[in-house]
Amino acid sequence: MCLRIMGMAAAQPRFREKPILFPLLGAGLLLWCAAPVRAAGAGQHIEKLFNVTGHPVVVIHNVANGRIEVKSWKNAQVDVVGNQSSNKIGFEIEQVGDRVDVSANVLDAAAQPLELEADLQLTVPEDTELQLKTETGLIYVEQVTGDMKLESFGGDVHLKEVSGYIIVKTTGGSLVCTQCAGKLDFSSIGGSAQILQPQLNNVNLMTTTGNILFDGDFIRTGLYSMKSGKGLVEVRFSSTDSFDLKAQTSTGVVDNQASAFLKPDSHGVKHLPSKFMHGLFGTVGMGLAKVELSSYSGTIRIMKRD
Amino acid sequence: MQCKDIELVLEQEGLEPLPEEARVHLAECGDCRNYVADLTSLVDAAKKLPSEIAPPDRVWLSLRAQLEEEGIIRTPVDVVPVERVPFWQSIGDFFRSRALATAMVGILIVAATVFQVRRDRTAPVAPTFLAAKAALAPAPAVQKTPAPDTPPFFASAARALDDQEPVATGMILASTSPVDVSLRDNLKEVNGFIADCERHLKEQPQDELTREYLSVAYEQKAELLSAMIERGRSIN
Repeated sequence: MCLRIMGMAAAQPRFREKPILFPLLGAGLLLWCAAPVRAAGAGQHIEKLFNVTGHPVVVIHNVANGRIEVKSWKNAQVDVVGNQSSNKIGFEIEQVGDRVDVSANVLDAAAQPLELEADLQLTVPEDTELQLKTETGLIYVEQVTGDMKLESFGGDVHLKEVSGYIIVKTTGGSLVCTQCAGKLDFSSIGGSAQILQPQLNNVNLMTTTGNILFDGDFIRTGLYSMKSGKGLVEVRFSSTDSFDLKAQTSTGVVDNQASAFLKPDSHGVKHLPSKFMHGLFGTVGMGLAKVELSSYSGTIRIMKRD
Repeated sequence: MQCKDIELVLEQEGLEPLPEEARVHLAECGDCRNYVADLTSLVDAAKKLPSEIAPPDRVWLSLRAQLEEEGIIRTPVDVVPVERVPFWQSIGDFFRSRALATAMVGILIVAATVFQVRRDRTAPVAPTFLAAKAALAPAPAVQKTPAPDTPPFFASAARALDDQEPVATGMILASTSPVDVSLRDNLKEVNGFIADCERHLKEQPQDELTREYLSVAYEQKAELLSAMIERGRSIN
């Protein structure tokens, strides 16, 4: 259509009479023709609002590259906003009872990575249960108290003020969990985990090459297991904490920077490290929580926070 | 009237006509309205069912099988000679399906882990058992030799994963998507870690912690290969 219009314009005799105008008008026509094409390929926006009752469940599967952000509000509604970089991605959103399913699918397998970006922004009731799966984008969840399972290949996972049973599984993505409560399971190959100011009473962290940082209180009767194959496992505790500590490494190092606070275990069986590994056993306070740290070849660092 | 009373009324008096009290409660209670709506739709659906439905074939087949089993009826069976297939061919057929192969990898990992845990809890393995296990192993001509450092209790898992690795990596070989690049990088890391643990276990076979890490690394490798195969299938 564009070429046809240009051809017609070039046939007008007045352009021959005023040749200076020709380039200007030609450029204008070119822009006019290009405008709709650019709009079709440009980002698209979608928003849907779903009424829910009781305990909603939100399932997201984002096969495109992009960020998933979930925040909470007091309304009994799930608000879904999707932004996509091109029309080569399609959103499918449906509600079945209190379950809302959102998936971003690639419509054109030949699309370039830049055309396959889709961001999702959700606002949900606080007690919503989440199941999110993405490939490379960031998953960000804030102030949601329902159980959640978050999976990503390369994307990071950032959680803030969430609680419940939290399962995070990544291939290379890292986890940052700030002021999280409840139970946390994290497993990754190359991703690291940072647990900051937690109120978690059950923690299982496992990464093969990533680092682990736990900076916060150990809740009494809590169980904490942190393992890294090759990375650093660092624990920062406060002097008011109460826990039994078992730290073991096969070929790595145990760096105890809190020996003044770590006493020999005064209760239960006497622990002796295996002759095949370097180990450290001790108790802080009454030893109410149980903390197990291990690394195959990395460093285990124990230090007091205050 | 409470929700439980509504259930009682429905149970005793049916759906229509509902007493005034029940109607008042329904007007206020969404859960009960949904409950009544569900019941109504069930009753409507039941009314639409034809009076007689021919049972599916599987019912007749199952009935026949039951009667034959109890000796009430007998059917002459034509015995068709089955061509004997060598056992390695059936193993090959089994592994030809990638989905089954992936599942098999997982099963082998679990089996290896269980074996390892049991081995830890029991007395040292008797040499006769090892000899029997070696005798049960497939012929050396067909089997791919595991890495020399692979501890014996992980050998089968390692072999299965090694077999699957070229298939899985080949399926996403041409892909330059960030996810596939990340999968390949992580596989490289896991392989490096496995090799490191295996070397260490060769020197310190009783190191439980290393064995634990090695077991997890094999699981992760299996998951990575599975993810690669899944992605490769969706690309192709």
